[in-house]
Amino acid sequence: MVGNEVSIQMRNLSKSFVKGKRSVIAIDGFDLDVIDGEIVCLLGPSGCGKTTVLRIVAGLETPTKGQILLRGKPIIGPGPDRGMVFQEFALFPWRTVRRNIEFGPEVKGDSPEARTAASSRYVDLVGLEGFEDAHPKELSGGMKQRVGIARALANNPSVLLMDEPFGSLDAQTRNLMQKELLRIWAAARKTILFVTHSVDEAVFLADRIVVMTARPGKVREIIEVGLPRPRDRTSTEFMSVRGKVLAELDEEFEKARAKELSPD
Amino acid sequence: MQTQQIVLAVVVAAILVVAGVAAVILLREEGPAEEKIVYYTTMAPSLMDSWLAENQTSAYIAWEPYASSSVVAGTGRVLMYSSEIMPQHPCCVVLAYDPFVEEDLGGGVTGQVLTLRFLKAHIDATEWVLDALADKDGANYTLLVDMAVQFTQRSSAVVEEAFDHVTYGYQMDAEFNDALEQFTQMYVDSGLVTNESLVNLGYANASVFVDDYVDESYLVAAEAIAPSPTILNPSDPIRLGYLAGDLHQIAQVVALNESAFGGTSIFEDYGLNVDALDPFLNGNAEMLGFKMGQVDIGYLGAPPAINKRVNDLTDTTIVAQANSEGSSLIVSVNSDVNSLEDLVGETVSTPGELSIQHLLLKIALNREGIAFVKG
Amino acid sequence: MSLTANTLVGLRKLVASRWRELALGTLSIVLFVCAWYVASWYLQETSSGLTPYVPSPRAVGEALWKSGSFLPGLDRYTMWDLMESSLTRVVLGFFVALVLAFPLGMFMGSSRIAEHMGKPLVEMFRPIPPLAWVPVFLLAFRAFWGPVAIVFLGAFFPILLNVMFGVKNVDPTLVDAARTLGAKKGNIFVKVVVPSVVPYLMTGVKIGLGVAWMCIVAAEYTGLSGGAGLGYYVMLSGTGSQYSYMYATMIVIGVLSILTAGVAGLLEQRFYKWSGMK
Repeated sequence: MVGNEVSIQMRNLSKSFVKGKRSVIAIDGFDLDVIDGEIVCLLGPSGCGKTTVLRIVAGLETPTKGQILLRGKPIIGPGPDRGMVFQEFALFPWRTVRRNIEFGPEVKGDSPEARTAASSRYVDLVGLEGFEDAHPKELSGGMKQRVGIARALANNPSVLLMDEPFGSLDAQTRNLMQKELLRIWAAARKTILFVTHSVDEAVFLADRIVVMTARPGKVREIIEVGLPRPRDRTSTEFMSVRGKVLAELDEEFEKARAKELSPD
Repeated sequence: MQTQQIVLAVVVAAILVVAGVAAVILLREEGPAEEKIVYYTTMAPSLMDSWLAENQTSAYIAWEPYASSSVVAGTGRVLMYSSEIMPQHPCCVVLAYDPFVEEDLGGGVTGQVLTLRFLKAHIDATEWVLDALADKDGANYTLLVDMAVQFTQRSSAVVEEAFDHVTYGYQMDAEFNDALEQFTQMYVDSGLVTNESLVNLGYANASVFVDDYVDESYLVAAEAIAPSPTILNPSDPIRLGYLAGDLHQIAQVVALNESAFGGTSIFEDYGLNVDALDPFLNGNAEMLGFKMGQVDIGYLGAPPAINKRVNDLTDTTIVAQANSEGSSLIVSVNSDVNSLEDLVGETVSTPGELSIQHLLLKIALNREGIAFVKG
Repeated sequence: MSLTANTLVGLRKLVASRWRELALGTLSIVLFVCAWYVASWYLQETSSGLTPYVPSPRAVGEALWKSGSFLPGLDRYTMWDLMESSLTRVVLGFFVALVLAFPLGMFMGSSRIAEHMGKPLVEMFRPIPPLAWVPVFLLAFRAFWGPVAIVFLGAFFPILLNVMFGVKNVDPTLVDAARTLGAKKGNIFVKVVVPSVVPYLMTGVKIGLGVAWMCIVAAEYTGLSGGAGLGYYVMLSGTGSQYSYMYATMIVIGVLSILTAGVAGLLEQRFYKWSGMK
């Protein structure tokens, strides 16, 4: 499944935000290579900048320092080649499922037939047959996220960026959606860069887990999961990886808490 | 694309609505063919001369001095005097509030006594005005013009011109009653007074009503009143109502004036303490003042006195006349309007559907078979 | 199905589903009319000075009925003519306000420069009650357009401000999503901002419509306008002490106000149903 080409290259990424008189350094010296077709998870304590990294890859933020390349070319702004899935779903409430998915192709200028073909295909892929003409308010959380995924995939992106996509769902739906995501990933063969709070989720989904330090964020440790899919959450191997990740994480959590109590 | 469609749809809808509405407006302009109609708008007389000067209206009818102001300014000329429409038509009257008249202030001083004395002052003042107007070279004339200029806030040229067209008088004769009856009947015809309301008041018709409403007995008794050295109502002034700048009511201005008559006013000479209230904008406002018990005796036009007596049950009695005639229909000085026929299709400004000026113009137009409709 | 059949079915459904609401509503109106009857009867019996001002419901009802063919004091006019006059002015003034305020609001909401330039002017003119402009407008405009201009001023600001607010309150995540789907400024504006603003526009429309009706009554009061409207007749009937007709006219104004708001509401529901937002 995982190719050999490097999809995304991040070198020495730094990003600082100015809030009034203070400037906050979100990430500093972040390095990462994402390989074609892999699922990479960004994990870390609150405020470590994992969402910032994702938004930089998406092109929604620009780094203050450092370099970021997609297939050798620098990333300048947002675009359909880096599709994004949001925690709050961000579906257009006035559009039906089908027309939400068709948004990207519409903007690109595809013909109505091409658009319909694409939306039908992805509706089927994410398992929402029959709901093409429903509006987001009629859908459950899990269904909404499926639409979000389909919408991003409809543009055939090089990489799928997901910002805590299942954070708004209840535990059962979350587990279900994790499995669904793997199924979709297997069918669509996309590179996925994924931000999450949940160690469990990271170990279940990712090929590699990037544990970030507390703010200012950089890579603390990259853990290869190395387990064949489908993964058993109760197996000893799963538990052991989980334990390793937690160990790394706990220390950073402590540091983050200390920072919170005395902000710079 | 959907959103563009919405925006387009809204714009198209808006255009259609505006176009449809405009079409309706334009189509409405055609009234029944062959019928002669003069249109009117209503506004305060103080605005009328400037509207005429700016050609916003083809003509206007108002009471003095607002009629003469256009003439003197050179922007208007008289098409018709109100006296031509109805010779000696009554205009302003002196109205007394019945509860006031029935009051007893003690010590032999009653509202009735005060009313009689008031009327004597009114008679004297009116006679003085008539004398002054008869001798344009006399000192009294200059005095009168000064008082009028102050009261109306118009120039002496306007005031002098206006005086030529107002007839002052206090008597109420049979023709006076007949004219008021005619006005009442006009109100009945247009629905502003209903026969039902007259009947409810106990009157079989307009004639019976007017005969009861006008009471000449006070005037008759007032002739015998002599001046009084002391003020009879020092702590209970007669609250006097009148219309702002209305030249027809100059008598009360004269009666209040102290400097012209050697330090005391005519009212004071007859032992009256009179408190002139803030001027009312129109007769209706003054009648409301009566209804609320804020006015004891007032000067105002006869029509509102009639209308409000019947409809609002305002307890008043007409005790004297203040003037007759004194209104004119003015057209632009360089227009070629020379008769009422020439005004067909045009718009004329009046002080309001209830005013005597409006009623007179309506009478004049209806005589020629021309309808008078709001435009 | 034909339009009438549709309406009847719709009405039947409405009655069936909300019969309790309708029953209680009707009951309160009936009680009000009864209280009114009692009040006017009592004033009559005690020969109160207030009697003329509180005509019985029957008198007002009669006046309402007769006004369809005759209005005391105003020759050649019927209540229908008045309704047409005022409705025309309100609709015209309102639509001009809508057509101008909607794009201007979108513009001012999205452009910093436009906002900073426009804000002082808006803040200066908005608090002035439209009715204060009556003397100026009636001298500046041809008689018919004076009241229309007043209505315009009344409806303009609510729409403008609500649309501006709507633009500034567009969900930034939706904008982010659109960007990651390849949309650039133009498409973002048309496909994300405009649809997001519609609920706010609707609020502005409803407020603006209400203000428009308030303005029209007072604007027509002066009688300088071309043709008599409902507001003019309220003034005239009051001046001529024809209180039954005055109340009848006021009822008509209230009903028309409700009807126009209802039409706006219907269009709003239609839009939401079609776009699936509510």
